[in-house]
Amino acid sequence: MNTTTLEFPKNNILSLLSDARHFQILFLGSFLVLVLFANDFPKDFLFQIGLTISSCIVFQLLFSHFTTKNYSSWKSALITSLGLCLLLKVDNLNWILVASLLAIGSKFLIRYKGKHIFNPANIGVVGTILFSHHAWISPGQWGSNIVYLFIIGSLGFLVIKKVARIDIALTFIATFGGLLFIRNILYLGWPIDFWTHQMTNGTLMLFTFFMITDPMTTPNNKKGRIIFALILAIIAFYLTTFNHFYAAPVLVLLFMSPLTIIFDKIWKSEKYSW
Amino acid sequence: MKKKVILVLIVFTALPLLQSFCGFYVSTGDIKIFNQASEVILVRDGNKSTITMNSDFQGDVKDFAIVIPVPTVLKENDIKVVKKDIFNKLNKYSEPRLVEYYDEHPCEPRIMYDEMVVTKSVSFNSSVAERKKEKELGVTIEAKYTVGEYDILILSAKESTGLKTWLLQNDYKIPAKAEEVLEPYIKSKMNFFVVKVNLAEMKKLGRDELSPIQISFESEKFMLPIRLGMANANGAQDLIIYAFTKNGRVESTNYRTVKIPTDKNIPTFMRPKFQDFYKDLFTKQYKKHGKNAVFTEYAWDLSSHNYQKCDPCSTTPPSYAELKDAGVFFANYRTPQGYQGSDYEGNLFFTRLHVRYDRANFPMDLQFQETMDQQSFQGRYIMQHSVNVDMQTCSEGKRYYNDVLSRRENELETLANLTNWDIDSYDDYTNEIRTKLGYKTTKSETKKGGFFFFSKGNKPNKTLPTLLLLSGLALVSFLIYKRKTIFPKLGTIKSFLF
Repeated sequence: MNTTTLEFPKNNILSLLSDARHFQILFLGSFLVLVLFANDFPKDFLFQIGLTISSCIVFQLLFSHFTTKNYSSWKSALITSLGLCLLLKVDNLNWILVASLLAIGSKFLIRYKGKHIFNPANIGVVGTILFSHHAWISPGQWGSNIVYLFIIGSLGFLVIKKVARIDIALTFIATFGGLLFIRNILYLGWPIDFWTHQMTNGTLMLFTFFMITDPMTTPNNKKGRIIFALILAIIAFYLTTFNHFYAAPVLVLLFMSPLTIIFDKIWKSEKYSW
Repeated sequence: MKKKVILVLIVFTALPLLQSFCGFYVSTGDIKIFNQASEVILVRDGNKSTITMNSDFQGDVKDFAIVIPVPTVLKENDIKVVKKDIFNKLNKYSEPRLVEYYDEHPCEPRIMYDEMVVTKSVSFNSSVAERKKEKELGVTIEAKYTVGEYDILILSAKESTGLKTWLLQNDYKIPAKAEEVLEPYIKSKMNFFVVKVNLAEMKKLGRDELSPIQISFESEKFMLPIRLGMANANGAQDLIIYAFTKNGRVESTNYRTVKIPTDKNIPTFMRPKFQDFYKDLFTKQYKKHGKNAVFTEYAWDLSSHNYQKCDPCSTTPPSYAELKDAGVFFANYRTPQGYQGSDYEGNLFFTRLHVRYDRANFPMDLQFQETMDQQSFQGRYIMQHSVNVDMQTCSEGKRYYNDVLSRRENELETLANLTNWDIDSYDDYTNEIRTKLGYKTTKSETKKGGFFFFSKGNKPNKTLPTLLLLSGLALVSFLIYKRKTIFPKLGTIKSFLF
């Protein structure tokens, strides 16, 4: 479980970053800190962050204890919890526990050929929304600031590059953005900033660079990933545009995840390992 | 392992307790806080929407006109006029409020209070008039009604130039820039709800001011078309939205929805300045959040099972009759039950949103969703009055006044932080207490600066943009510096794509 893709100098701060997960933690963590600064540290949100992170890690360690006894995976749990913090909104913090349990539990319980099927943060968010009726996604919560795009995009790029999943993110964003452009700008005739406003949406950026790029829950083969991203983008576009369902990408990903099994059968490739 | 479990337990026990608001509502006069604001009541359940628009049109009523894109061809009974009072009522019920408390005497405890009330209201901007030549312009009159004092047309159009020409020919003053937004609406198969005043009807009805118009329709779209209104406005416009839904708070899905700062202690001399205070507070928040956020000013569960429908109440919570006026089609009457029981039954949630929008920062129409969030929220600002204590006879006097002094210093700082007001001129507020304590009075230099580049003084807050810019620069330099290590295969970037 310890293949490094890049040779970083050892005994150097950079060697820490040789694990793509550290990048992700660093990025999602600093994004969260920025958000907290910008909003004067809202108490409720601090509670939510604390609870999400601690519960995810506890569940991860508990599940590990009864299965693999490999405790190093707490980092993945941390990333999952950061994703939950940034996407999920609940009316009662108890639902955070449900989300964490769903997210971490699915990783251990819903598996096929050594791969978990669902992206943990994704199933945590969507599962809680569907079953509890006390949770929701606020697609507008991170605004549409072009600067965010730059920061998230470039940091995200780095992470994906390191886990070699740039193809799925680029395919998704190009298809989704392209379809929106054709529909809203070329066909309907909205001014161009209508489109940039849509495309710089913080939630969309997070989804593109940090959720669908998860190497554990996307097809192993490059061709498979690209087709996967194409289908995802087309369905998400359809739901967003014609059904006014603005959190569509996150939901569609959940229902498409099981397809990964089929994709992996058609296009064979080696499984990713951190 | 044990540590982790303990951590969870701590977080658990620290879950926020049910917030309780109190204090006494303070009247700050009859002046409008935002007198250039439009007001809209939005009612939504399932796919059904009812929108009520209030117009504070100032000019000659014969020049009054509205063009609104609507998703369906409205039927006559989908269109109503309602009494204007409902807007005043909802505004009064939900506007940001000033509350006050009185200190207990440190030596002879007793409670004093007084109770009063505030108001504020709104306006709506538009233009219009009517006639023919429809066919060759591609404009179809789908329906034609007279409702209340209004003549109403529902138009569909094939292309924007034709529609624009038709509107101009029929004396509807359409702004020059309107065309760029008419086109997308036409192609989205929207119809146009076109309104002008029927002077004869108005005279017959004996009305001297324009009534709010209420329309109902079924559509998956939960939105407000603000883009058309922007075409004729110079600068930013204020819009207050009163939303009624069944399950929880309404928020925007395509702009950030932010709560206004609340529960802040401000100096007691703020009573006559409350309007200015809140206006400046809002402006500061508006700028801080990039001029493109939607602000929550009030949110409350008005369900019949919730007996506390406001706290403190600036007016009585809306009744069944008022809800019906507001277009809350899912409200059902019942005989009022119990103390403060409502005369309607079922779930109801009220949200007040405040948007300041302009063309540059709001390229899209406002889209909304109903969340499951039922937490109460209100913009509430507190004045804490001190009592007169005789330092000779009351042993607690010195401690008490020291507390008051530090409290007042904090209040001034809060005031400066919230509004960017220059607090130098309010030295008397703290010196009054210093005199009582026998301290030297001070003439303070403003506490400027704050921590690092987090400006606390009179400068606009640029914290977030600065941080983002710095981290961006740091990242770029890092990437350039380490490019060989990080992108060992820079030359083969194509291979990542296919």
